[in-house]
Amino acid sequence: MRIDSVPPWPEGIEPQVPTEGYAGTFTHTPAVPPIRRPPGRTELTAPRDLAAKLPCGDDNLAVLGHGRMALGQYIHIAGRILDEDARPIAHAVVELWQANAAGRYFHPIDTRDAPLDPDFIGNGRIRTDAEGRFGFFTIRPGAYPVPSKNNWWRPPHVHFSVLGPASLSRLVTQMYFPGDPMNAYDHILNSVPDAAARERLIARQLPPHEVGLGWLGFVHDIVLRGRAATPEQP
Amino acid sequence: MNRALPTSQHTIGPFFPRTYFGPTDHDLRRRTATATPSPRGEAIRIAGRVTRAGGEVCVNALLEAWQADAGGHFDHPADPDAAAADPDFLGWGRAATDAEGRYHFLTLLPGGYVEGNHRRAPHVNLQIMASGLMRPVLTTLFFPGFSAENAADPVLAMVPEGRRGLLLAQAEGDSEGLRCFRFDIRLRGDPAEETPFFVE
Repeated sequence: MRIDSVPPWPEGIEPQVPTEGYAGTFTHTPAVPPIRRPPGRTELTAPRDLAAKLPCGDDNLAVLGHGRMALGQYIHIAGRILDEDARPIAHAVVELWQANAAGRYFHPIDTRDAPLDPDFIGNGRIRTDAEGRFGFFTIRPGAYPVPSKNNWWRPPHVHFSVLGPASLSRLVTQMYFPGDPMNAYDHILNSVPDAAARERLIARQLPPHEVGLGWLGFVHDIVLRGRAATPEQP
Repeated sequence: MNRALPTSQHTIGPFFPRTYFGPTDHDLRRRTATATPSPRGEAIRIAGRVTRAGGEVCVNALLEAWQADAGGHFDHPADPDAAAADPDFLGWGRAATDAEGRYHFLTLLPGGYVEGNHRRAPHVNLQIMASGLMRPVLTTLFFPGFSAENAADPVLAMVPEGRRGLLLAQAEGDSEGLRCFRFDIRLRGDPAEETPFFVE
């Protein structure tokens, strides 16, 4: 797919910055407003085959190796990567990373006093198929407190990084779980002004009988910025 | 035609996995981890630090670079002259900042190119993602030694004159036979020093 135009962000979808309750945004968000420029060739292009550079295929975070099953509730997250015309984006690189069931990341920077699971690293990378589909087997992550003065806890969430057909389609976002009471208190989720846009960050849970034995199923579509001017022929 | 609204951006957070990085991800000259770096152009090193308010360093920030090849071409259908693109040059790389906020890339000095009625000066686009940044910031690095090209570049012309110098990498000698360019990124600070960022 080739992206030919990138409309500005619609109202209410971009998080409010700096973000109330999230101290780091007050020290990191640029003070000078960004300069609006028309998208040019550098912005409308991206590598055509990033999967060669970033090896893909690691879609099972729950099973580390032979018999090494992670602790936690086993889940499957499936969805599609779409453009702003709801067309599937084939061969996008999708990265997912998350905390373990106790809410701790397998990362040297995360030194919180919570157990690491020797059988859970918590990151995967795949490439979407011709219909833009992706899927990951993983576990439901735990909530965790953010070191801060306001007793802020992150609700269970997974991080997504998506590399699409244009550098302007690059997206880093997070997915939340439906019905979690902590969603209402999260400073990051609630930095998105539009309620419907927040709702679109929350996955939909499938009825268990629609999912394979042993996994709870969640569905989550992700829409990247950009539109292809000329529809591709089937 | 169906419409779909784009998914909201969020911060990358502090814990972008180190396990995602291969040893040559920061080398834009290689299409794959094991490929030979493209030799078609001048190999250079771009390095710098990412800082926030108060000059404090940003640790584990993610930078992604994207640029044209040494001839000013992109291997992409949006480039009318894509057939002339270097088949061995990827033009994309990613790097994370270390405990001192430092990053570096290896690449080829990009070529300029004509786009519409304008001539683009040699440049590298950078996206920076970090904990505390709810939206990634985008900036464009230009090179010293191209004063005529830089003066005619339409993107650099949009930056207030007094701030244009902040987008110019600085020549910083040689290392292992490569010319080195320094490009520090100040996410937030005195407006006279803050890196100019763009939005599209």
